[in-house]
Amino acid sequence: MTMPSDRRTFLAQSLGALAGVALLPHAMDAAPLWQGTPRKMALIGAGRQGRAILTELLNIPVVEVAAICDVVPARAEAAAGRLKGAETFTDHRALLEKRPDVEAVFVATPTHLHRGIVEDALQAGRHVFCESPLASTIDDARGIAAAAAASKQVCHAGFQGRSNPMYRRAQRLMLTELRDLVSMRAQWNRKTSWRFPAPEGLSARDANWRLDPEVSLGLPGEVGAQQFDVAHWYRGAYPVRVSGRGAVRLHNDGRKVADTVSLDLEWADGISLRYDATLANSFGSQYEVFSGANGTIQLAWSHGWLFKEADAPTQGWEVYATRQQVLNDEGIVLLADATKLAAQGELKAGAGLPHSSLYYALADFVKSVTEGAPVACSAEEGARATIVGILAHEAVVSGRTIDIPSFG
Amino acid sequence: MQRFATAAMGTRFELVLAAGGGDPVAAGEAALAEIHECHARFSRFAADSLVSHIARSGAARAVRLDRHTFELFADALAVWRASEGAFDITVAPLMAVHGHGASAVGSSRRTGSERLELDEERWTITVRGADVGLDFGAIAKGHALDLAAAVLRDAGVTAALMHGGTSSVVAIGAPEGARGWPVAVKLGASRRTLVLRDAALSVSDPSSHTGSAGAPHVMDPRADAPVSRSRPVAVQGPSARLCDAWSTALAVLGRTPDGFPGGYTAIFETTTP
Repeated sequence: MTMPSDRRTFLAQSLGALAGVALLPHAMDAAPLWQGTPRKMALIGAGRQGRAILTELLNIPVVEVAAICDVVPARAEAAAGRLKGAETFTDHRALLEKRPDVEAVFVATPTHLHRGIVEDALQAGRHVFCESPLASTIDDARGIAAAAAASKQVCHAGFQGRSNPMYRRAQRLMLTELRDLVSMRAQWNRKTSWRFPAPEGLSARDANWRLDPEVSLGLPGEVGAQQFDVAHWYRGAYPVRVSGRGAVRLHNDGRKVADTVSLDLEWADGISLRYDATLANSFGSQYEVFSGANGTIQLAWSHGWLFKEADAPTQGWEVYATRQQVLNDEGIVLLADATKLAAQGELKAGAGLPHSSLYYALADFVKSVTEGAPVACSAEEGARATIVGILAHEAVVSGRTIDIPSFG
Repeated sequence: MQRFATAAMGTRFELVLAAGGGDPVAAGEAALAEIHECHARFSRFAADSLVSHIARSGAARAVRLDRHTFELFADALAVWRASEGAFDITVAPLMAVHGHGASAVGSSRRTGSERLELDEERWTITVRGADVGLDFGAIAKGHALDLAAAVLRDAGVTAALMHGGTSSVVAIGAPEGARGWPVAVKLGASRRTLVLRDAALSVSDPSSHTGSAGAPHVMDPRADAPVSRSRPVAVQGPSARLCDAWSTALAVLGRTPDGFPGGYTAIFETTTP
């Protein structure tokens, strides 16, 4: 139904005004204002994720990508060709040595190569954004955390949930709206082989490291860890054990790494997170669901909904909230930047975040570097989330229940 | 032959790989991933798309673009000028008014590409006025196909055919033993078969789709209204995005203007139904 613009504006502004107590985060969460002259930074690893980082950095005006490094020269040059004036390197040590004006690096190489690069960059006095998961072994994850602890530089682990305004908003609602947490579940579904073309100069095995059982963390470690970390953050605690199973259900191309997995991560209080991920079906894509005695929060990176139980107390702001029907339930749409949108008369039903989840993680890192803002996801937090992912993968591979060590 | 398909940009993209590519599955999926990236960047219905970002921020400050996107804007503005305004990517408000969806950033916008300012030195775009609405519906499919074709070529593919919604087509090489890829083109009541080899094709027929208000889906930005009289047309040439933009422009104009580029061929409907 189309609402007259004057009424929509009225409701939007009412929402912005009244729901600030519980529903709306600070507008700056969603739309940081960038000030100051551009600071030189560099990308290390110009594969698909590296290129996604470059695209998002264009939206952060205080960042100038001055250098791009990739072991495949053609890939570094192709990525640099998308920007103005970036120098290319094929060795990260040469970049660190020859470009002292570069004060921060984004590390987006294959997971198992992170540690050496992160340690070299910190040692060279550069701030580091390291993609998640941090490493493919527990030793490497702990090594990165130790290097960060010994450094004065910013070291940000790329677990995006902790920077995402929608997830920050939901974290506060977890405390006020759900009451007692009952259960958690999450999924990540895509229809893809996880195979990538090998550029000249790179072997097929290196190009497809996610399918290499020697170094891959499989679906639990490579994608699940991002979602598990939302539960770690919300719960303020890590799971104590994980069990799982997996199989190759669709992509029978000789791979050993499962294309479909199911996991149970259990916390000390008995509450568990049920997790499913597959490369064989895309239905439902990616989401996390947190259910409590008074309601359920469903999050899908750029969107979020709150479903209240009928007997739950009603808050005043709910009268003005935007709602959507999802099967048999009516959800209150969570709006992460509603105050700003309402002020601009731009609030639309169901509007998602104005930027990708990756943007907010990068923006938090840049704010730490340029403004001294607290690190949104530290290397220590990243290492813990990575270790949970590693052990979840091990549970799938071994078919055993794995105890997760206490992180103290 | 390997076949792939995906849903993006409100339609179905299909890809047939006939030859080349060390790992055809990897190559095909990489091409589809490129199409999805374009979908995410150029959707006017998603708040986190580049189009919505420019609409929100482009009037306040210059928005930085990557080279591919800058070239897309440059081509769009070049076709706008050469077509005497018959093709215009600021047509979003007109589309919304005539029942072709509301954008994620409001619908009270005005048309006019003269309000877009590209900086060739810095690869930025600035929007003059806060009420410009961008719609890449008449060029984004072709742009996505051009980028996807580049991905396939980089992966070593030597023979492939891709289309988006059957109205935009790109051919790489030819199937073994053939001159090219035969593509049947229906323009109104007339029908012909074109053979494509390392070429693109786009078809525009304003009467083929109508919006919720019953208006054709092609707008005439010069008249601020849906096209009233139009000729179905196909454009063949090297770039899919230019074929896309020009097929829309020619459908609106009903003729080829002086600025129609060399290396491209326009095929109008020859039989009136």
